[in-house]
Amino acid sequence: MKGPPIKVNRAETAIRVSGLDFAYTSEPVLKGIGFELEQGAIGLLGPNGSGKTTLLRCLLGHVPLKVGQVEVLGHDMARTARAARAGLGWMPETGGIIPGMSGVGLVAYLGELSGMPARDAMQRAHEVLHYVGLADERYRPCEKYSQGMKQRLKLAQTLVHDPSWIFLDEPTSGLDPRGRVSILELIRDLAWNKNVGVILSTHLLADVEAVCNEIVVLRKGELLARQNLDGVARQPRQIFEVEGFGDTEGFLAGLAALGAEVTRDQRLLLVTLDMAQVAGEAGADGAWDAAAGVNAILTVAEAQDYALRRLRRRPVSLADEFYEMVEA
Amino acid sequence: MPVYDRGYTHWERSDGRALPAWLVIARRGIIEPLKKRWLLVLVLAAWVPAIVKGGIIYFKLKAGDMVDLLGGGWTSIEPEGFLNYLDKQHFFVFVIMAVVGAGLVATDRRDNGLSLYFSRPLDVKGYVAGKTAILFFFYALVTLVPAVALCVFAYLVAPEAAGMELLLLTPLRLLVFCLLTGTSMALVLLAFSSMGQRSIFVMVWWAVMVMGTKTLASIAEALGRGSLRVLDFMAQYDNAGTVLFGAARSIEVSRGVSFLVIVAWTVLAAWVLRRRIRPVEVVS
Repeated sequence: MKGPPIKVNRAETAIRVSGLDFAYTSEPVLKGIGFELEQGAIGLLGPNGSGKTTLLRCLLGHVPLKVGQVEVLGHDMARTARAARAGLGWMPETGGIIPGMSGVGLVAYLGELSGMPARDAMQRAHEVLHYVGLADERYRPCEKYSQGMKQRLKLAQTLVHDPSWIFLDEPTSGLDPRGRVSILELIRDLAWNKNVGVILSTHLLADVEAVCNEIVVLRKGELLARQNLDGVARQPRQIFEVEGFGDTEGFLAGLAALGAEVTRDQRLLLVTLDMAQVAGEAGADGAWDAAAGVNAILTVAEAQDYALRRLRRRPVSLADEFYEMVEA
Repeated sequence: MPVYDRGYTHWERSDGRALPAWLVIARRGIIEPLKKRWLLVLVLAAWVPAIVKGGIIYFKLKAGDMVDLLGGGWTSIEPEGFLNYLDKQHFFVFVIMAVVGAGLVATDRRDNGLSLYFSRPLDVKGYVAGKTAILFFFYALVTLVPAVALCVFAYLVAPEAAGMELLLLTPLRLLVFCLLTGTSMALVLLAFSSMGQRSIFVMVWWAVMVMGTKTLASIAEALGRGSLRVLDFMAQYDNAGTVLFGAARSIEVSRGVSFLVIVAWTVLAAWVLRRRIRPVEVVS
C-alpha cells in the first residue's frame, strides 16, 4: 500500500522464462516453457487454447507462479511483480476501459496508478493520446468511443508510463482493415523506432508479419518453436509455382531428376526445390537466389518442350511456416 | 515543445511527488460521484437531521426544558445523544453507501478493469484500501462530519456545555466509532460488490443485509425472541458502540456478542475480497 517510488530499470530489459509450468485448475496450461527475449518485436503465436494469454499473464505476474522462474526487467515475478509492472504495459483483448471517464482522464488516472506524479501523468496522457491519433477525441467519455478508438485508447494507456515492454493481446481485434493497418503502424513504430519491446499475441499471422522480427509459437501449452522471421526467407526448401502446357509427364520426370517434389494445386504445379542442391550456396546474407531455382526449372521445361505460362517463386509466408510447425 | 509537434517520446520524470496508488483510487472515486447533482442533494438531505438537532439545541435555550418533551435524544448533548444521532442516520448511510459503493468492484469486474489495475504497480491491498477509503469518505460525510459539526455548534450555543467534552472527547469518540464502523461496513459492501458484476444486484444484497436483517430481527423480537436482535446487521454497531459512548446497551444482546458479530462479518468480507479480487477470473 506504500506509494510507488518505483523507477524502471532501463539497463535490464530482458525477459527470462525457465521451466515454467502453470495450471489454473488440475489441467496444465503451460508446460516447461523456457526462453529468453531481448527487447524487440516478438510475435506470440499459437492456436486457440495454446496458452498465449496465460503466458502473458505469467509475464505480468497476474497469476501465482509456483513452478519455474519468470524474470522480467531483472525482477523475479513470483516475488517482486509489483515493482516490475512499473516498466510494463498491458493491453487486454477484452474490456480494458473504465466507463465514466474521458479518454484523457482514464489515461492520466492509469498513469498515476503506475507511479507518475499527477501533473506528469496528465501531460503524458495528452502526449500519448496525440501519438495514437485520439487528440481530438480525448475529452469524450471513453465508453462512447468506437471500437477502433477504444483499441487506440487501450494502446495509449499501455504507453502512458513509458514502459520498457508492452504486452498486446489481440490488439487488432474487431478493427476494420484501415483501423487495423494504422494500429499496426503504431505498434511497429514503437518496436522499431522508439525502443519499446513488444510482445504481440494474436491469431492474425499477417499482423505478426507486419510488426515482428521474431516469433514464439506455442501449442498445447508447450513451446513449439522460436524463430527469427528473417530466417523464414532463408529456408533452403522453396516452392515455385509453375503453369504451362505440353509434355507434362516428361516435364515432371525432368523435375524429379532435379530432386524436386511436385504437388498439384488445381492448374498449378507446386515445385519444391532444395535450393542447396540447385543453387549450391546461399548469398552472403543467407538468402537463396530465386533466379537459380527459376533457371533450373526453365532448363527442364526447355529440354522437355514444355511451354511455360507462369513461373515464380511462391512468397514464403509466415502462415506456411506456422501451419507447418503446428501441424508437424 | 508543443504537444501537437511531438511523436512518442520517453517520459522525463519531473520533481513532482507521486501519490500512493490507493490514494489515487480514493481521490478519483470521491470526485467522480460528487460531480452528480442528485448525490449532492442526497448528502444535503442527510444533513437535515443534524440541522434539526442543532435547531432543537438552540431552541432549548429559549423554550427551556419544554423541548425535552421531544424525547429520542434530540436535545441531548451528552455522548449518548450523539450515538443516538448516528443511529438515526442509518437510512442515509444505507442509501448513500448503496449508490456509491454497489458498483465499485462490480463495474471493474464487468469491464475487465481489474486486469488494468493489476497491470500497474498495485496490489490487492492497495486496491481494496482505495475503494474502502471512497466508501468511508461518504459514510463520514453523513455521520462523522455533521456529528462533529453538531458538537461544535452545541458548545457555542448550549450554556451547560463543557468544552473538554464537546470539543475533544466526544469528537474523539465519534471519530473512533465512525472509523471502525465505516471501515467494517465498507468492507462488507465491497465484498457484496465483488460477488457480482451488476450494481443493481449488489444493491439488492445490501438492502437485504441492512433492511432485511432488521425486519427479521424486529419480527423475532415481536415474537418475544429479543436475543435474535443479533441478526440485525446495523444494530450490532450501535450496541457495540455504547461501550465507547458510555451508554447502556441498545438491544437485548450483550455488547461482547455484538462486537464478535461485527468482527465475524468484517473478517468474512475481507476473506471474500481476497478471493474475488484478482486480475484473472478463474472459471473452474
